[in-house]
Amino acid sequence: MKAHKFTILIAAFLISFSSCEKYLEVDPAFSLGADNYFNSEQDYELALIGAYDLLQGSYLTQWIGEIASDNSIAGGESVTDTEGLHQIDNMTHDGVNNELRSILRFNYAGVTRCNYIMENKDKTDFDGKEIILGETRFLRAYYYFELVRYFGGVPLVIDRSIGSEEVTTIGRASKAEIYAQIESDLEYAVANLNWSQPVKGRATKGAALALLGKVYLFQNKFADAATVLDRVINEGNYSLMPNYEDLWLAANENNSETVFDVEYSALEGGSYDCLICLEGNAAAGFNGIRQYEGPFYADGNSYILPTSKLYNSFSVNDLRRDLSILHIDSFISIQADPGSISYATGGGGHTGYYNNKYIKRQAELGLPDDDLTSPLNYKVIRYADVLLMAAEAHNRNGNDGQALTYVNLVRARANMSDLSATGTLLTEQIWAERNLELAGEGHRFFDLVRTGKAADEIDGFQTGKHELFPLPQVEIDLSGGSWTQNPGY
Amino acid sequence: MYSKGWRSVLGILLCLFSFAASAQKVTIKGQISEAANGVTIPGVNISIKGTSIGTTSDLDGNYSIEAQKGQTLVFSFVGFKNIEIQVNESRTLNVKMAEESSVLNEIVVVGYGSSTKKEITGAAAKVDGAELKKLNISRVDAALQGQVSGVTINTNSGSPGGSSSIRIRGLSTFGDNDPLILVDGIVYDTEGLNALNPNDIESVNVLKDGTAGIYGVRAANGVIIIETKKGSLNAKPQIEFSGFYGMQSTARQLNLLNATEYAVVKNNAFFNGGQAQPFANTSVGEGTDWQDAVFQTAPIESYNISINGGNAKTRYSVGGSYYNQDGIVGGAKSNFRRYNARFNVSFDIDERFKVNSVLLYTNEGRSTLAENGIGSVLYNTINAYPTEPLRQDNGEYSYLELVNDIINPLAQMENTYNRSNVNKFVGKIEPVFKINEDFTLTNRFNYNIALVDGKTFSPLTWYGPGKAQNTAVNADLDAPQVEIADSVFLDRGASVYENRDTYVDLTYEGFLNYNHTFNKIHKVKGTIGVSVFNRSGNGLNATAFNIPNNSIDFADISANQADGGFLNNAGSFEFEERLLSTFLRAEYSLRNRYMFSAIVRRDGSSKFGANNRWGIFPAVSGAWVFSDEVFWEGLNLDWVDFGKLRVSYGISGNDQIPNFAYLPLLNGEGVYVLNDFISNGVAIGRGANPDLKWETTQQFNIGIDFNFLKDFNFTFNYFVKNTNDLLFQPDVSAILGTYGPGGFPPYVNAGDVSNRGMEFEIGYHSNPLNDWVFNANANITTLTNEVVRVPDGVDFIPGAGFGVGGVVATRFQVGQPIGYYIGYETDGIFQSQAEIDNAPVSQAGAQPGDLRFVDQNGDGVINFSDDTDKVKLGSPIPDVTIGFNFNVSYKGFDLSGNIYASLGQEIIRNYERQQPYANQLNYVINRWTGQGSTDIYPRVTTGATRNNVFSDFYVEDGSFLRLRNIQLGYTFPKKWLKTAKVESLRVYISANNLYTLTNYLGYDPDIGNFGGVLAAGVDYGFYPQAQTIMGGFNIKF
Repeated sequence: MKAHKFTILIAAFLISFSSCEKYLEVDPAFSLGADNYFNSEQDYELALIGAYDLLQGSYLTQWIGEIASDNSIAGGESVTDTEGLHQIDNMTHDGVNNELRSILRFNYAGVTRCNYIMENKDKTDFDGKEIILGETRFLRAYYYFELVRYFGGVPLVIDRSIGSEEVTTIGRASKAEIYAQIESDLEYAVANLNWSQPVKGRATKGAALALLGKVYLFQNKFADAATVLDRVINEGNYSLMPNYEDLWLAANENNSETVFDVEYSALEGGSYDCLICLEGNAAAGFNGIRQYEGPFYADGNSYILPTSKLYNSFSVNDLRRDLSILHIDSFISIQADPGSISYATGGGGHTGYYNNKYIKRQAELGLPDDDLTSPLNYKVIRYADVLLMAAEAHNRNGNDGQALTYVNLVRARANMSDLSATGTLLTEQIWAERNLELAGEGHRFFDLVRTGKAADEIDGFQTGKHELFPLPQVEIDLSGGSWTQNPGY
Repeated sequence: MYSKGWRSVLGILLCLFSFAASAQKVTIKGQISEAANGVTIPGVNISIKGTSIGTTSDLDGNYSIEAQKGQTLVFSFVGFKNIEIQVNESRTLNVKMAEESSVLNEIVVVGYGSSTKKEITGAAAKVDGAELKKLNISRVDAALQGQVSGVTINTNSGSPGGSSSIRIRGLSTFGDNDPLILVDGIVYDTEGLNALNPNDIESVNVLKDGTAGIYGVRAANGVIIIETKKGSLNAKPQIEFSGFYGMQSTARQLNLLNATEYAVVKNNAFFNGGQAQPFANTSVGEGTDWQDAVFQTAPIESYNISINGGNAKTRYSVGGSYYNQDGIVGGAKSNFRRYNARFNVSFDIDERFKVNSVLLYTNEGRSTLAENGIGSVLYNTINAYPTEPLRQDNGEYSYLELVNDIINPLAQMENTYNRSNVNKFVGKIEPVFKINEDFTLTNRFNYNIALVDGKTFSPLTWYGPGKAQNTAVNADLDAPQVEIADSVFLDRGASVYENRDTYVDLTYEGFLNYNHTFNKIHKVKGTIGVSVFNRSGNGLNATAFNIPNNSIDFADISANQADGGFLNNAGSFEFEERLLSTFLRAEYSLRNRYMFSAIVRRDGSSKFGANNRWGIFPAVSGAWVFSDEVFWEGLNLDWVDFGKLRVSYGISGNDQIPNFAYLPLLNGEGVYVLNDFISNGVAIGRGANPDLKWETTQQFNIGIDFNFLKDFNFTFNYFVKNTNDLLFQPDVSAILGTYGPGGFPPYVNAGDVSNRGMEFEIGYHSNPLNDWVFNANANITTLTNEVVRVPDGVDFIPGAGFGVGGVVATRFQVGQPIGYYIGYETDGIFQSQAEIDNAPVSQAGAQPGDLRFVDQNGDGVINFSDDTDKVKLGSPIPDVTIGFNFNVSYKGFDLSGNIYASLGQEIIRNYERQQPYANQLNYVINRWTGQGSTDIYPRVTTGATRNNVFSDFYVEDGSFLRLRNIQLGYTFPKKWLKTAKVESLRVYISANNLYTLTNYLGYDPDIGNFGGVLAAGVDYGFYPQAQTIMGGFNIKF
């Protein structure tokens, strides 16, 4: 009898016990929840730093902008070392390509971090918020501009976060819609940012105007481009560095010619498994001379090797040739003790040339492992580029006089005589000048496509196909088939 | 062992009736002992058959009884087989009794209760602790390999203290496939098994099928229940001291090129690459044998002492042990050392109230080297070239300057200081209250506390120019400079990282067991209970720079000399997770012939959001002992002693994902460089999935058990195990924005996996009373693993990459086993340019001597930019695994062995760095050198080639058969030991991994998954299991 009662007691205990839902409510210790953030100016500032972070994925554009063009080959340890780059080099790239997938992933991660701020922009008010929002919209424009240059019209997500179930309902927007959004973001940034920022590395009015000018140029809106680029030239406090050589050293970064840089640091190591997690510039680290032992330079992975075609496109008098392209054997032969200097060639290819702008130098070694800790900034837009874009815009817009003024400023620094042509001949010369001035900086492929010259210059380039890169097939699958592949792939 | 019925036996009175009989009555005397170990047995019933005359043996196992010639003496003792002996002339009858353990009354632990082999309805298996102890292996998981059908165990690392992957009935999920491991009811994780000394184990029970569902949300991968040794009531203290000492060496070295072969091959490769040949003279002798330099013989030793016994109210088992093992790579730099102390005691407070307590203290120290990856010691060893000496002329280690990222492995070992120390307290207090004959209430309070200390010292090192692993800037070991403010530079010298972490598991379990037999034929058992589980942890860690003298002697945070502490940094973490469960089990057995059991468990887990927190896991099972049926008698199958059919079906769960996967947290990485300094912002980390829930496994099992010809047993199981709603992180669309730094895709429930297979076990046990005793058992497991569903919109989940920066070689894809290999199929070698030109399939870049790939999609082109010509090249999952154990004894000698075979799996050879100067396996000697030279091995070249894309050329048959242990022992005769008051003494010599039969070229084909499920079977220069020769002893007082 007694036992019976006891059993009932136990059973009652068990049943009451299991309803104790509260026991399972565990809060994450000392962690910030994403849903209850943006309560102070500081919160916005920190989220903005998170949005800037993805700029560091630009190392891929320095690579792909060169190797997809006629400027460089992929190089590296073997033809399967970062195979996606070799495929792009050979114009055999298709729907399976890790590097192209990274472009899509990194830039959408950037867009998402900007949208996270924009979605919550009204939560807390404080003075100067419009500057934070201006930077946010500048960054979003930058990320979408990367996406539209690589892939054309992409899905457009603005000022909100999306859930995984929503992915299949968002198809690709048109190129025009993406550009409209980029222009709108940049116009806001232009209106709200100042010409200078108290903190080095942040976007300014000049950066927003210059990027807007470039965006116009990519849409052949020459009048608009000329207008905004003239503002950079006339209102901004920019000038060309006297010596072209000085531009490429880390010590001289953020100079009078800098319009917008992606900032990198030598102070934090990382892992080859996550190049986007680095604070160093993987492009500069990897572009170094393979197993090099000798003065001035330091060893790297022989990525992105310039072609002799590029080298030979320079006039021998052009100061920029040897400052842009390192002919390794010539360099070694003029050193004090050439016999003591050695380097190796990689199975991924060898041209005899190295990129002399983004390269590992002994004076610029970051912390070990220095492949991953290069402090060299990626120069997104520098003043010479602004002048050349403005020259092109004025030329295409019929104002050759202004165009010649601008382009000759750039040529003069390189010890080159003034141009005097007009019309389409001048257009051709400005285009050629762009590659002489900007070779190795990741612009070439996009300029060739923009100007319709790609098929002439790039082996294997198919018109109607290779203007855009393929969307990764897996991303199309993940969209539930709501994205169509780019033509030809 | 004595405990079985010892008390009841004691109660029996001596019957010393003696009839004044007319027949010749003789007094028979003798001693009764255990057949297995010679230990005497007190309290044995000795009776004369057909009479009520009887006696019992005394405390020393001696007895004396009067009987007539021709009468039969019956010796009986609970838990042992009855023995009948006819009285003849002999006046002394020493009797050895054998345990009944191998047969039907063997206790099987099933979770919150126990059952017997005869009654159990589920697919469970039991391994005796003695079987594991015999293997002299430090970890119980490694020792279990080949012991139980359906349980596949692979070594994740052969380094001392390295873990194994335990897979019960295949791979059922993408994430955590480890079974739930309970030691005396206390949850252990597989890493934590280092704390357990196999000598302390009484038994290991494995619940393989749906009946494991009594453990609910954590049971989907099966349950391993380990019981440690307990004492016995009324037993003399027995002291046992055992130990062994051995030497380990590598079972194998790879066949790498020697210096002359290397020079010839490399000249050829450079020539083919259109480059100058590096060796003017190729007669450079043997050169450096890096493997000889890196591998060493290393000691292994272990000593155990235990005392077991009890009085009328107390049982105890206490013990201590020391274990120390150095590595065959790295010696003391790759070491595992364990001290352990154990105190198990039970008190009978009164007849109804008993308290069991278990306390285990362990101190483990482990040193580790970089293993199984690019940059591991063995990876560097394999790729180091033989023309380089070990040291330069100045005595410094050589630099291996011709290869990128490959460093001198000796220098690497010397500069590695990585040691962790774990203090672990595991125990329980378990009051058991016997309410009445039918009801027993058990309350169990478990704790498992681990205090983990780790220290890693990173000295300033210089491995040579341009080596990624350098921490100094030059050979003088100058420290790098760090700019902490404009033009303010600090040295960044040697650093030390230390962590102090505490993990605490607390569990309360209360359950009521009911057990009653109605009308002698209806046996009813019931269990109802609750379980409350709380796991918490916190840790503090810090890195400090500028350790004085670049020396391990000063490697402590307290010694740092970082200017102003500027570079030093600290971190911490804290977490908590909880489980709340109720469970119910009902069992019914009719005439011990028809058994039925039903289980239901309700679990709540803090891993999930409030909407999906609770799960219900039911299971049903039944068994039929058909050999007890009347019709069976009529079948004239007398040779079959016992036959049982079992069927079970159950659902269990898996919640093994990180905490808070259902919440969006700002734990991503938002770091950018502003004003030239690294600035920390915030970013969302892992994408959140508020609808996350546990994955479920449904398992059906049908099995049959036979005992026949008295000494044989046989078990067969067929199972189908379907896991649904797999918890994992598949790729998600880029537009969700989760692929920034520190970002991860959300966990989702997506994908299904099916495992099906058969298990066979057959055993033979000869009569232990004979001079010759022979026992053997074999088990065979077949397994078919298949992915049934992947998340919507995904064709496959990519896994491990091949080579450096190479393509994905393993996948999780519908219709294929988890982690199968995909790449190009080869079809010989192109012998000439004409052959390439005339080939129906165009292969870009092909040259004579290159591998010819197969055009799988028939489009006439080998497509290197997409997957259309890739095909399955193998799978890491074996088709069949076989375990075979035997032991033979004759008088004092015993010989035992353990063989394990794993057949039908493949391994990816991924330890060859494709660099111009890296050393290579000597198959390249047979490389293609001209038309007709070979159709197997491609040419070598330093130029661009597709020969190193992932193809079947890099996939090898990983099947192997291994003699894991063989042991020869001798037990000294009792009479020799008596004067020394020694109860028994056995000495033995033993060898582990003495022989492996395999075609695999790498170090060790027994490779687990070092880097997750999809990295299984990828060999980066695996740390092999050692070959060990040992001598040992076991002495009892």
